[in-house]
Amino acid sequence: MDFKIIPSVCSYCGTGCGVLFQVMDGRLVDTLPMKTHPVNEGKLCIKGWNLHEHVVSDKRLTSPMLKKNGHLQEASWDDAIQTAVEKLKAIIEAHGPDSVGVLASAKITNEENYLVQKFARAVIGTNNVDHCARL
Amino acid sequence: MQEQVREWLEQGKVDIFLGYKKIQGHPLPHCFTRDNLDETDDLIVGNARYSLEKMATKIATEHKELKIGLLVRDCNQRALNVLYVWNQLRPDNIETISVNCCPSKLKEHGDCSYLEPEKAAPLKMMIGIDNNMDVKAAEEFGQEDRYKRWMYELQKCLKCYGCRDICPVCFCKECSLEHTDLIATGSVPPEVPIFHLVRAVHMGGRCIDCGLCEDACPVDIPLRLLYRKVNDIVSDVFDYKTGTSVDQSPFNMLGEEVTLEPKPI
Repeated sequence: MDFKIIPSVCSYCGTGCGVLFQVMDGRLVDTLPMKTHPVNEGKLCIKGWNLHEHVVSDKRLTSPMLKKNGHLQEASWDDAIQTAVEKLKAIIEAHGPDSVGVLASAKITNEENYLVQKFARAVIGTNNVDHCARL
Repeated sequence: MQEQVREWLEQGKVDIFLGYKKIQGHPLPHCFTRDNLDETDDLIVGNARYSLEKMATKIATEHKELKIGLLVRDCNQRALNVLYVWNQLRPDNIETISVNCCPSKLKEHGDCSYLEPEKAAPLKMMIGIDNNMDVKAAEEFGQEDRYKRWMYELQKCLKCYGCRDICPVCFCKECSLEHTDLIATGSVPPEVPIFHLVRAVHMGGRCIDCGLCEDACPVDIPLRLLYRKVNDIVSDVFDYKTGTSVDQSPFNMLGEEVTLEPKPI
């Protein structure tokens, strides 16, 4: 029998609410708001309350998917990245870099978001960068 | 306290002990085990209150024979009593260490700073319900005024289900609040006042006035006051004080005949 309470930060939006994960026998079973956290002071929205469900969900993607013959199929990271590179290159060549837009996410870290905009500006060559919280 | 927990774990009086430990500067609930006895030195009471008994219930459903020790304030003890009554925990498997507790109707002074009542803002005093009111004061508003004030409070609801999720005595597998025939889905605020009244009715004879629901409510709805009213009715009609004993609740006894006088609504 193994029961752990693990403090973390909610990954749903950019607010950064403190949450506690309850882990029983290595399985994530429940989420609680952290009472002493300065951001949320023991409160959560419905998405935060159900964080554990999106971690253990059957519908969660565990590998990249590629569309082949009209159906999404599991693929390796190498294949997925190669396909993305080829398609992006073709589009940029045919229509210019401003034909591509990049949407950053609140679910990734500050540093990753920095890399996302760097990728858009330095690699693709467009200022079309926006954030999901502004949509 | 630390030594006692260590002793209990060593002697096998309990298999695990649920208490608090300071982690990353926060007093957080923590599960102490026999495998890590030295950790018991870090056991603290903590001024932030979590529902340890709800965790115990969750553990006990999967590990039925496990002996669980708990740090209990008065509210935890009342919740444990209700969980015993409703067969969610077995008293033989639970050992408790009592610590000083937070202010409630049953106890004036306490140590939980997180439950010191916050003063209501002027707008809330003017058009809503002050969370610190007692049932009697809240009933002194005229009927129309009272209805408006309660509706103001209830329509703020975000339907986060926090009140239910944090409640130590909410353990039903199927919840009426998620029943689509009772509560329509797809809109916020939820159907007021029915959403809150369904929950309030279910709190009769269950609510132990711990205030965790109000604590977890992002929009400050005076839930504790609402459930106090419901429990006052239970107390008047059945003379049953929820959580004060492990005696049967009037709500889980099947009678032969109706003994109550029908009352006008």
